[in-house]
Formats: sequence, C-alpha cells, structure tokens
Amino acid sequence: MTLAFLDPSPKPGAGRWVPVARSPMEGKAVAAGATLERRDGWNVAVRYGVPRGTVGFADVSHLRKTEIQRDDIGTPDGVATRADGAWHCVLTPTRALVIGGSAEGLDVTAAYCAMTIAGPMARETIARFCALDLRPQATPVRGLRPGSVARTPGFVIREDDDRYLLLVGSAYGEYLWTVVADAAGHLGGGPIGVDDLLELPDA
Amino acid sequence: MTRLDPRPGERIDRSRTITFTFDGKPVEAFAGDTIASALYAGGRRIFSRSFKYHRPRGEMDWAGQGASSLVQVDGAPGIRASSEVVRDGMVVEHQNAWPSLDFDVMRMSDIAGGPFTPPGFYYKTFKWPRRAWPLYERALRGVAGLGRLPERQDDREWRTEYRRRHCDVLVIGGGIAGLSAAIAAARQGADVVLADDDVEPGGAQLAEGGHERVRALAEEARAAGVEVLSNAPALGFYDGLVPIWQGDTLHQVRARRHVAATGAIEQPLVFKDNDLPGVMMTGGARRLAALWAVRPGTTAVISTTGDRGLDAALALREAGVEIAAIADLRPDAADRELGAAVQAAGIRLLAGMTVVRALGRNGVAGAVLARVDPTGKATGTLEEIPCDLLAVSGGTAPATSLLLQSGAKARYDAATSRFLAELGDGVVHAAGAVAGHEDADAAAVSGTAAGLDAVVALGLGGATAKRELTNERKRLDVLPPQSPVAAPPAYARDGRRGGKAFVDLDEDISAKDIAYAVAEGYDSIELSKRYTTVTMGPSQGRHSQLASIRVLAAVTGRSLDDVGITTARPPWSTVPMGALAGRPFEPAKRSAVHGRHRELGANVKWAGDWRRAYDYGDPEGEAKAVHDAAGLIDVSTLGKLLVRGPDAGAFLDRLYPNRVSNLKPGRIRYGVLTSETGRITDDGTIARLDDDSFYVTTTSSGAGAVYNWFTWWLADWGMRVHITDVTQASAAMNLAGPRSREILQSLTDADMSADGMTYLDALPAQVAGVSCLVLRIGFTGELGYEIHCPAPHAQDLWDAVMQAGAEHGIRPFGLEPQRILRLQKLHILVGQDTDSESTPFGAAMPWIVKLDKEDDFIGRWALERAVEHPASTALVGFSLPDGDVPAEGAAVLDEGGAPIGQVTSARHSRQVGKVIGMAWVPSAQAEDGAQVTISYDGRTYDATVQTSPFHDPEGTLVRS
Repeated sequence: MTLAFLDPSPKPGAGRWVPVARSPMEGKAVAAGATLERRDGWNVAVRYGVPRGTVGFADVSHLRKTEIQRDDIGTPDGVATRADGAWHCVLTPTRALVIGGSAEGLDVTAAYCAMTIAGPMARETIARFCALDLRPQATPVRGLRPGSVARTPGFVIREDDDRYLLLVGSAYGEYLWTVVADAAGHLGGGPIGVDDLLELPDA
Repeated sequence: MTRLDPRPGERIDRSRTITFTFDGKPVEAFAGDTIASALYAGGRRIFSRSFKYHRPRGEMDWAGQGASSLVQVDGAPGIRASSEVVRDGMVVEHQNAWPSLDFDVMRMSDIAGGPFTPPGFYYKTFKWPRRAWPLYERALRGVAGLGRLPERQDDREWRTEYRRRHCDVLVIGGGIAGLSAAIAAARQGADVVLADDDVEPGGAQLAEGGHERVRALAEEARAAGVEVLSNAPALGFYDGLVPIWQGDTLHQVRARRHVAATGAIEQPLVFKDNDLPGVMMTGGARRLAALWAVRPGTTAVISTTGDRGLDAALALREAGVEIAAIADLRPDAADRELGAAVQAAGIRLLAGMTVVRALGRNGVAGAVLARVDPTGKATGTLEEIPCDLLAVSGGTAPATSLLLQSGAKARYDAATSRFLAELGDGVVHAAGAVAGHEDADAAAVSGTAAGLDAVVALGLGGATAKRELTNERKRLDVLPPQSPVAAPPAYARDGRRGGKAFVDLDEDISAKDIAYAVAEGYDSIELSKRYTTVTMGPSQGRHSQLASIRVLAAVTGRSLDDVGITTARPPWSTVPMGALAGRPFEPAKRSAVHGRHRELGANVKWAGDWRRAYDYGDPEGEAKAVHDAAGLIDVSTLGKLLVRGPDAGAFLDRLYPNRVSNLKPGRIRYGVLTSETGRITDDGTIARLDDDSFYVTTTSSGAGAVYNWFTWWLADWGMRVHITDVTQASAAMNLAGPRSREILQSLTDADMSADGMTYLDALPAQVAGVSCLVLRIGFTGELGYEIHCPAPHAQDLWDAVMQAGAEHGIRPFGLEPQRILRLQKLHILVGQDTDSESTPFGAAMPWIVKLDKEDDFIGRWALERAVEHPASTALVGFSLPDGDVPAEGAAVLDEGGAPIGQVTSARHSRQVGKVIGMAWVPSAQAEDGAQVTISYDGRTYDATVQTSPFHDPEGTLVRS
C-alpha cells in the first residue's frame, strides 16, 4: 500500500481541490508581514521587505526530507555532506536523513519543521535557546549536531560561516518561531524570506 | 563634604554629574559613583538597619561582599548600595526602618527585646494562645524580611536573557591572578571567558596601588581575545556548568577547564559594638578613598592582625585621614618592615594589642584598645582613643566556595588559621589569593601558572606552553613567603557590661548567641548554623563563617580543625528568582489545525505536551451533534509509528498479547500493549498497509514511550524491522456521526459505501484532493472515519470537511465531548481507567489475550499466572440517577464502608439520560445490575453496575 498519506508533495488527480501545503509557522510568518508564494505546492514565505543586519531567520519547513533506513548506511561522524542541493546526514549506522533534493526513501518532510538562521549574530541568537557547542572549533562548516534545541529534540547543521539550519518536530513549529523571534528580536534581527538566502554550493 | 581631590586611578568622572533621589531627597553624584559612595560623600553614615535589632549600620567593605547597605532601587529591593552604580533619575529608598533610617522605632528590639529574641526564639514564642497565631503571624510578616516588593509592578518588561557559552577556559575572578591566567591561556590559543563581579576587572589592586598595572592587563586580555564579563558574579559550580549573572543575562558557561581566581575576603574582628557605622575593613576604607575619592573619616584607629592594616594606614594617611593609632596584634609588629615604616611616618603603633570595643551610639566615636589573653579577654590597661573611623583587618579568608562546590576538600591550615581548598584531579585550577598567593607579584605568577596548567591539560600550546608552565612553577617556588598574620581571638572583650559583639551582621548573630546555641545542645557547626542562622544571610558567610567557627571552637573547647566548615552550596551570589524560574516559553506541540481551533473559540488546555481543544464552548451540545448529525475532532496528537520490514508482523506479535501477523492488508485491529508483568501500558490500533508495513497508533501521551519500547526490543531481538515515528508528520481527524458517510463521500471518489469500506477497513484515498489513509474505526460509538493525512495539508482538509458538512449540521467537537462519547461505549483511557496493576483481564478485555499464540510475547508468563489467580477487582461501567457526578478518584466502598475500589471516569450523559462512569469494583460485584456504593464529598451514592456499553450496546451504529 502506498505511503502517499505521509507525503505532502502535489499529487495528480486532485480534481477541483487544490490543497496547499502549509508550514506550521505559516500563521506566525503572515502575522510578521511575510509575502507568501506558492512553490511546489507549498505556501512559502519568500520576503518581508525589511533588511536584517544582525540576524535573520527563515522558515524552510517546505524543504523535502527523506529518511533512508538500511543496514550499514554509514558512520555517524557529525558531518553533513552536501550533494545535489541536499544535506546528507547519517544519524545512526542504519538511518540517514536527506534534507532537500529528491532522494529515494520514506518521505518525512512533514515530520520536521526547519528554520535557517543567518547573519553575524546567528550563533549568539541560537545560544539563547540551545546549549549545543556551535563554535567554529567545535562545529566547523558542515558540522551536524543532534541534541536539544529550545528544549525539544532536534539538530543543527552549520551550513556556512554564519548560517545554521535547525530541525525540530513539526508540531513544535509555532513554538520554535516564538523562541527564535524572541531571541533574534533582542539582538536586532527578525524574519527573512527564503529569497533572502543565498544558494549553498555542493561539496 | 568628604570628597577628596582627584585620586590616581579613581573611578568617578567628575565632568558628568548624576542626580538621583534617596528617600525622596535629591542627591548629587559623579558618574561612576555608587549609591553608597555618593551618599557617604554627602555626609550620610547610616545606610540600613539590621535585620533583627534594627541597629544602625554603615558600609563595611565597599566591595559588595557584605549586606550592610541594602536599599530599594526603582522598586527592586535588596540592592547593594556599595556596588550599584548611580544612574540619572534613580529612585533609591531605605529598607527595614520606620519611620526613617535615622530614627527607627523598631530599635526597641535591640534595647528591650533581647530576652525575647534569642537564637531560635521563634520555636519557643508566639505559640500561646493558639488562636492568637493569625495575629502573631500578621505582625511577624510585617516586621520580617528585608525590603518590600511593590504591590503593583510597573509596566516594564522583566526579562531574563539566557545565553549558553562554551569555552576552553573559564576564569572566575578578574583580579591580577585571574587576568594573568586568562592572558596566559589565550596566548596559547584557548577560547577564554573571564567573569568578574566588579564593574571593571582588576580586583584589589585597583584600590591598593596597582591600578595602572591591572588596567593594562585588562586591555591585554581583551586584545588577546578574552571575553571579559564585568558585573558578572559566578553563582555556583554545577558539574561543570557555571551560571554567571550579569545585569539581566544569565550566562550558562560550559568550560573544559576552570581557573578559580576568586581571591580572599578580608575578615572583620569580633569585639563589642563592632557593627557601628564607621567600623570598616581596612580594604574597604582604601577602596572608598581610592576609587571614589571620598575620605572615609577624619581621624582613624586601625586594628589589624597583619601587614594589610599597616599598608592601609599609610594609604589612608596619604588620603588625608589622620591615623591616631594602629593596634597590631602581632607582638613583633614594630620590628617588621612595614611596622618600621609606619613608625617612621610618625604613626603610633601599639604592638600586641587589638580593639576590644567600639564607642559611640549611632556612629563610631572612639575605640578601646588592649592586650588580650588567648581567649580574647583584655589584660592590662585599656586605652580609649577618640576617632570617627575604626578600620579593622582580621586577616583574610580565601573565597573557596566555588572550589568546594566543584569537589575540592576544605582543609584547615594551622599556619594561617583559616580554611583552604584542596584540589583533586579535576577540571578546576586555583590561582592567586584563593590559592594562598596574596601578594600582587605572587598572585600574577600563580595566575599565569594556572592558565598554562589549564591549556596544557587541554593539549593546547604544545611544547612552548609546557616549557612556560615549568618556568612559572619554578618562579612560584622561589617567591618570598607571605608576611605572617596573627590569629585573632574568637571574641575580644574588655570585661565591661553592655554592647554586642557580632559574628554575623546580616543575621544579627552575636558571639553570645552562638554560646547560647551550644548550651542548648546545638554544638556542631551544621546544627549551630541552622539554629542560629549564622552565615545564612545575603552575604552567605563571607564575613562570618570563619568568625563563627572560631567562636564555636572557643565555646566548645575544640580546635578549628575539629569544628570544621559547613557545606558550600550555590548560589554564592545574589540572583533574582526570575532568572532561575525560567523563560515563559514552554515547549508546546500544536497540531497543524490548531489555528482553526483558536479561531473557533476553542477552550484550549494542555493534554500531555500538546495544546488541545477541549471543547468549543458547548461540550454536551457537541457530543449531541455527533449522535444526531456529524462531528469533527482533531486527533493529530495520536502517536503514529510506521513498522516496516519482512519481520514486522512477527515483531508486533511478540509485543502485543493478541495476534497481528494474521491481519490482512487493508484491515485494522485494536491492540493493547502489556508490560513484562502483563499490565496494560498503552493501547491503539494497528492497520496493515501491505505485507511488510504496519501503521500503529498509540495514545497521545504514550507515543514516545511506545517508540522507545519498540526500539528497545528491536535492538534486543535484532529482527528485520524499521520503525519510524510519524506522529508529527501525520495529522488525523475523526469524522463521526450518522451523516459522516455522506460528508466523506462528497469529498472523495473512493467508495465509502457500507460495502466499499466496512468497519475496521483501512483505505488509501484522496479526500478533498489530499492523499489520506482512511481508517473506519469508532471511538465515539457512531459511524466514523479517522482520516490521516500529511500534516501540511491538514488545515485545508479540515476546512473542506467542515464546508462539506455544513449543510448536514456538522460541528467541531473537542476532547471533553469525546470523553463523554467514549464513556458511553465503555472504551478505556489507559492511564485513567487503568493503572500500573491493571491487566487486560481486570479491564474486561480477556478476549484480547491470545494465550494460544505459538510464539512467546511480552507479558505472556504473567498473564498465564493472572488467569490462574484472578484479581480481586474488575473494571465495570456504572450508572447513577441524574444528579451529582462523582469525582474521578472517588472511593467504591465495601459492605463495611472500607474503600475497595475507585471511580476512574464519570460524566453526565445527555444521550443516556443519567450519570455514567467506570470504576474498579470487587470482582464479585462485577455483574450487570449489581449495586455498589460510591463515596464522594461526604456522601454515599448507590450505583448500578453495567458491563455492556450504555449507548448502542450491540455496536450496530458503529458497524453500519
């Protein structure tokens, strides 16, 4: 039997209905003045029109996430590799998560909400709610750190010098936005759209 | 006016004037002044009234270590005036005195109240008559405590910022030792944080002639990349986590290595009326003069036990204070280098003498000096010397609290008559005065060595660091010894009556009080502390711990080593409760439809760690809608696990007491999970998706535990199974009621007819364009469908169902009406209707246990025993005539009136027309029609047992 009931990507045969995939943070984004655009069936917050010099946070929950389970998938070494526009994260010797791209495996896009935090104060912002050691000497670029994020299970990938990708359970989406907005707000930052994020290079 | 001409290294900026108010009157200050220094410069000498006796108190150490100058600032009580820097417009008020600081009515408790307020008086007084207690309590609450919280908070944000910081080395203490350690470590490439509790790093040297040196070191530290936190006291040591409170930020610092450079705290002397305003530590007097350019007095007497007091005398004289005399307890003081220097400066030095009494009423007017015997009793002539400043120095006590909290052991050092901290092989290094190196040069070397020691332990700096460490250790070894300090007597006295000799100024505990406690049997340091409250005040024993140990030793005839020291505990420094209470952001799970519930005016409450709609304002009406037409409830909180693999069916067979592997694809079975002891732990449904895939639901609050349970056993059994928790990925809603089929059919092309989708079918289908898994199951007792979909599509699906159902009279319903509906069907709620002793047999589900399964399963052995030894109680339904609803937890009584069971669920059911519930009753009464007695709220009720559902007992509706 198909597992399509877990996959939020657009399906053929919807008829007169055009269901929209919505991030759990959509309500917060709209309230903060986001401009939404439909992309690949998702409402995506693409811009806010306010420059953020210190830190910006973007809802990227629409990124596809794929779980791959098989024996001997690799060694969890705390490093996320980048290929084909996606992050490949080995979480255990038998389980990996691919974020972005279009990998084969179980679609768990809806299981996680995701947020990119970027800017010179990104690490300071995350330090307001997360005790993971994200200093460059402990988490170099492409470092993968599972752990407690805002008192919930999640993980952080250091995507670039001052850019971090956070994932937590999707039901925590509104809560995560509240926490991050509070932390960033007091450091002079705020929400940004996905169009404000630069493309990341592959390895 | 006591403001001095500009002093080298002073902290004030004379070009900027600040104005604040004290008790309503304006006070002029310079930028950089503290509240206390500004008030002192303006002539104020009394800053507070003591806790119990309301004696006038002045400032003692001018470093924020004591608590003699607590004031209220902008509504916040308990602020140390000696360390709080002034701001324009600040509103400062006194505490603990009425009607004013200079005339306090409660001083009567000092003059006349002594017999009524010995230590522990509250255990012995205010007990009779008992009915007067509310009166006593009101009065005591009125006079107890320090400072008042405002009745109404201003409209301001009381925000605590929490900041996590990892680093290689955390240096606690920014004196010369701490700065040297930080620089040494940073130069070797370590990531260093330095935390200091003063407005700028530098420590004692800022006021003792080394200000240029330490300020240059501070610049060097910053240039080397050290993060310097000022006004940032460390609160404690919690297994490697050191919280540091700074302004409104709690830094939670996790360091790989720590250097404790916390210094040594100058100690007072214990003599009669040693608390008078005008009695100060010698270091405090120096700070007042050096940092804020305020002359501490006109004429001073100094009483000291070491070179510290002599050095202070020279400094104070240079600041314009006339030194009338110095009493140095050391008999050979005059022969020492500094002793000779003070005499050469024309200052009278009385070797072998100490102060035995301060004279004056509201301030020092003179000092009585004498020689004393080893017990502290004056011998020979008493010399009275007029003065308005009595500066004392009883040596120092290393500030070892943080070291002791980290695991170091306290060790009494007879040579210096104080307690030191003995480090083990941990992650903490000691530097400077806390390690016994008080001289500035020695402290610097000690700090450098400690910083290098830390980085070498971390593997940083290579051979260079190791070589430098060896060199610094050699330098330490050849440093000249510290000048000797005499051990002061526990309590110096002139033998005359009158006056109090305080050991603890915070708590108003005198030497006599400690003797009193010993006489009552509280003769160990831990008991004495708790009985008298000595060291338990805001300064946490900084100036009283050593003194109290000396007094206890003297009174009990034991050595200080025998008496010992109390356990060091955090917090070491004051921190607001709000900083510890946590932020107001509670992790909360919300379903993808939560926004709609809010818009519909749902009554939202916690259900485990989810926020859920309990009802929409009309729970009985919502339940009725399900019976009459249709209702829609968001059940996204259900736990959902995908169990896949060739061994998935066999795996589930081992976990559940019933069979799963024989379930056909597209079919659903109810399942109850049992523990190894056969007790119910969770329940839910299992839908077989295909040969190798099962979709398992659990209770909302049990999702995590069930996932852990499954993965635990999988790790043990090593079967070919993969488990994925899709609880948050998949949303779910239950459409129930006689019109539910029509509503659902209007949204899908899949065959939802009675034949197309039978009871307990699981069918993938597009519903309103959304890919769903539709489960035909019935928790509500009516025809119903549980529709699972990707969470991102749930809101659109909800909207579509509500829109399609509008013409049919659909209503959303919440958790509360759902509870009424399920109770009508006698469906259990695990954890509410069951507890840790409930087996499926007791819970009226014997049919779910398949003891004839071929393979073993969790709990099998226990369940086989349970068949042989039935439980004495069983879970049944009951009904009462319309009326009171017994509380869940109400007792079920036996014939003798003893409790034998309990009510687990109870509600009024409009549909059934009576009060219904579930209860555990004696097995003998678990039969239809049996009468049981329920006791609730002082009354008893006769309930009638029913073992079949109250609504549609044959299940016709749910199977329709």
